[in-house]
Amino acid sequence: MAIMQGGYKRKSKPASDIPDSSLADMAFLLLIFFMVSTTFPKERPRKLDFPDAEATQKLDTPRKDVMHVYLERDGSVYINDALIPMDRVSDIVAPEYVRSEHKLVVVIRADREVTYNYVDAVQKELQQAGAVRVAFYTNLEERVRRARR
Amino acid sequence: MAILKKKSRVSGAIPTASMADIAFLLLIFFLVTTVFDEEKGLPLVLPEQSKEQEVSQKNVLHIVIRADGIVELKRGESPSVSTVTADMIGDIWRQDVAQNPNLIAAVKTYPNAPYRYMIDVLDQLQGAGADRISLQLYEGN
Repeated sequence: MAIMQGGYKRKSKPASDIPDSSLADMAFLLLIFFMVSTTFPKERPRKLDFPDAEATQKLDTPRKDVMHVYLERDGSVYINDALIPMDRVSDIVAPEYVRSEHKLVVVIRADREVTYNYVDAVQKELQQAGAVRVAFYTNLEERVRRARR
Repeated sequence: MAILKKKSRVSGAIPTASMADIAFLLLIFFLVTTVFDEEKGLPLVLPEQSKEQEVSQKNVLHIVIRADGIVELKRGESPSVSTVTADMIGDIWRQDVAQNPNLIAAVKTYPNAPYRYMIDVLDQLQGAGADRISLQLYEGN
């Protein structure tokens, strides 16, 4: 009888605890992913309202070939967290343009309400520095939102 | 002699019990600090300095953006000016470029016009596939 009972007895029971032997492995995997993909921003983000555009494109320029030019509502220009007088912008951009082997893309991050004469002045400075590849930073606008406006 | 024998021996193994904790601590740090800063916007190639090109007036679509956001359209040499809104520019460009494939959009913005009006027009033009765009400051001509 005892043998019979032993034969019918279910031997495998579902484990009652979560297997944690691979926990550290998973943590390290994620850790390495984030360590590799993290880039610490060089400059502090500026609080500006950027314009919206439906045709916003993702730019696949390598980070090292991108330069940000911030244009605030009052027309002041910031590059790498430093306030730059308008007529000195080309002096800052020109050496960067040479360093990047003429691949530099200048992203103009201008406030949506800044008057156009400042934007034009920045463009003229960039042309003077030879950096003719620019992008106007915009937020993607969805068609639905536009229709509602 | 037996009493003098050192009982505690230095363990040969690295303690791994807290490894997961350390890993998670670092993981959370990197999770919090990661910013996926993607570059986006409306790309444009400015003309090189001292490389002004003469273009025939009949190939130019003049788009003048006023300070109030209203857009004035003038086709080539024709003196007639029509006023439109920015969101009509895309369709106008599509129609005009179908008739003249060499068409150039000359966007002239008033110095006191907000930047976003220019972006609205540029957005419409790029959405309509325009690649010959010239951005200028309106100087009263």
